[in-house]
Amino acid sequence: MTLPLRMFYIAIVQVILTSFIIYYLVTSQYRELSGMNVKTLESFFIAQKEQELKNYTSIALSSVEHIYKLSEETNQENQINVADIFENIRYNADDGYFFIYDDKAIAIVHPIEPDRVGESWWDLEDDNGDKIIQILLENAHNGGGFYQYKWLKPSEKIKADKLSYSTYNEKWQWMLGTGVYLDDVYAQLDNLNKEIDNHINYTKQIILIVALSSIFFIFLFGIAVNLNNKRRAEAKISELGQRVIDVQEAENRHISRELHDGIIQTLISIKYSLEATGMFLLQNKQKKPAPLKQAEENLAFSIQEVRRISHHMHPQILDELGLSSAIESLAIDFSKQTGVQINVTKPVLRKLLPDFINTTLYRVVQESLTNIKKHANASNVLIDIAMQESCLTLNIKDDGVGFDTKARKQKGNNGIGLRNLAERVEYHSGRFTIISSDKGTEIVVNIPISSFAKDFHQIITKVK
Amino acid sequence: MNLNTNEKIQRTITVLLVDDHPMVQSGLLACLKYYDDIDVVGLSIDGKDALDKVGELKPNVILMDVSMPLMNGIDATEIITEQFPETKVLIFSMHDSSEFVHSAIQAGASGYVLKDTSSEEVYCGIKAVAEGSTYFSRSIAQMLIQTPLKQEYERLTTREQGILSYVAQGFSSKEVATKLQISFRTVDAHRRNIKVKLNIESLADLVRYAINHGLIK
Repeated sequence: MTLPLRMFYIAIVQVILTSFIIYYLVTSQYRELSGMNVKTLESFFIAQKEQELKNYTSIALSSVEHIYKLSEETNQENQINVADIFENIRYNADDGYFFIYDDKAIAIVHPIEPDRVGESWWDLEDDNGDKIIQILLENAHNGGGFYQYKWLKPSEKIKADKLSYSTYNEKWQWMLGTGVYLDDVYAQLDNLNKEIDNHINYTKQIILIVALSSIFFIFLFGIAVNLNNKRRAEAKISELGQRVIDVQEAENRHISRELHDGIIQTLISIKYSLEATGMFLLQNKQKKPAPLKQAEENLAFSIQEVRRISHHMHPQILDELGLSSAIESLAIDFSKQTGVQINVTKPVLRKLLPDFINTTLYRVVQESLTNIKKHANASNVLIDIAMQESCLTLNIKDDGVGFDTKARKQKGNNGIGLRNLAERVEYHSGRFTIISSDKGTEIVVNIPISSFAKDFHQIITKVK
Repeated sequence: MNLNTNEKIQRTITVLLVDDHPMVQSGLLACLKYYDDIDVVGLSIDGKDALDKVGELKPNVILMDVSMPLMNGIDATEIITEQFPETKVLIFSMHDSSEFVHSAIQAGASGYVLKDTSSEEVYCGIKAVAEGSTYFSRSIAQMLIQTPLKQEYERLTTREQGILSYVAQGFSSKEVATKLQISFRTVDAHRRNIKVKLNIESLADLVRYAINHGLIK
């Protein structure tokens, strides 16, 4: 009993632990993998943007090339023309524009924030304290490079991540730069991260559901096993009880027979010896002395007593004449005692049943009659023993007050006898039914033919 | 012994005493020896043994106990009265319930005497039965008046049931006769009785009946 229960606890703990470990491993692996993917995707996006910027820059440059090529180093007019052209180039719906600073970080072109033009922004810092223009200039001097920082996005008027490409113009000592805003990239990546989180959540839920249902099933199984065990244990106890009764009945039968065939016969022989003594005295013209008479009387009493005890333990008639005769005899005695009219219907056949069924059915009738005497207040009892559809049926019916079968069972008082008998009948593969109403009680016992047919041959060959 | 001096001319009655208890036998013998017209010619300790001795001793009367090992007195009575109709059976038993008496009468016993009555009653019983009449102890007679034989004759006897079982198993009357060491005619008579008691005409119905009632495996 305790061992399986402990095993179920272990199984449940195991399921919980396994679920946690699986959850941890799966999510961490998934997070790592998707983290790598996101990083790759990010660099891919950035690389794309970089290529884009380079392209824009080269397109823009090619659009001013005709002026620039012809121009001298310090041709102010050409410079202004070129600046004008750059001033007006737009892409990405106004968010893409070009800016030009000179070596001293003085803004020359800045179409979105024109008030910057003409002033030096050498020390302009972003939120991290990096000098933006200096870095852009440095990148430009190094043959072109990218730099990421935060800058006002024109279309939304808020600061956003911006990736800028800056190149250097040797002839005019200009730094030409342009940039794209990365907020859409990051929004996309954020979405991706959110999706990953959703996936992990989903996995978590599935593992949770699987674990819970496993625990639930283990629990159910445990209950089932427990119930089954309990039922089996009860069946075993009941069977053991029935075996004890078997042994008891056999023992009773044995003692009863010993009394009847041993002691009583000895007493009878003594009786005849005493009688022979009396006859001997009579032959010699002597009267029977009083002590001899006394002895004969006492002996007769002893014989009756031993007979009574023997009969109480096990009625010999059951073994000698079979069940229906024994029941008939029981009924006659009962009628004499109580005045209740009993009618017994017997089958045409006799001695069909093996001893154990004989004894069981006899006890059923005995107990039923005892109940009728004590509680039923009946005036008529019908006992019917008959073969019906390959089944031996014993039916005991009275016209008494009846009883509530359920209440009797719960109270457990006088019902115990009948319940034990029911168990006993079922032990011999029979069926026991009680029907009770205020018009009387009916007890029906059915014994299938299969449980005694095999014994008839032994009974009949014993007699042959 | 001078108890019966006035009937001295009468023939002696031979008696077989069947009782599984030697002490009862010797006790009863001690009493019966005082009666001149009774001669206990044999002792037997159970029904089966009695069957063998009856053929050999041909007694007038068998004093038959009921509860005995191997074969009880009632079943033995049935077979003996069937095989030796000349021999009368007087049941000599402790059992006083009507069932025993009814069964004994049905088996063919001529009388029923209780063991705990006097030896004189046993003597009277033997005498009466030997003359071809019946004899019952006073209490038994009283009981027979109270609970007369009802449908007892409707029930099959042990012997009839045995024969029904054989017949249902497919044995012919001849084979059954050989098996039970009785005459072919006796078996036929039994078969007729069985058919009347069960109210069955055909052999097929007999077989079905035997199967339905567990007489055949």
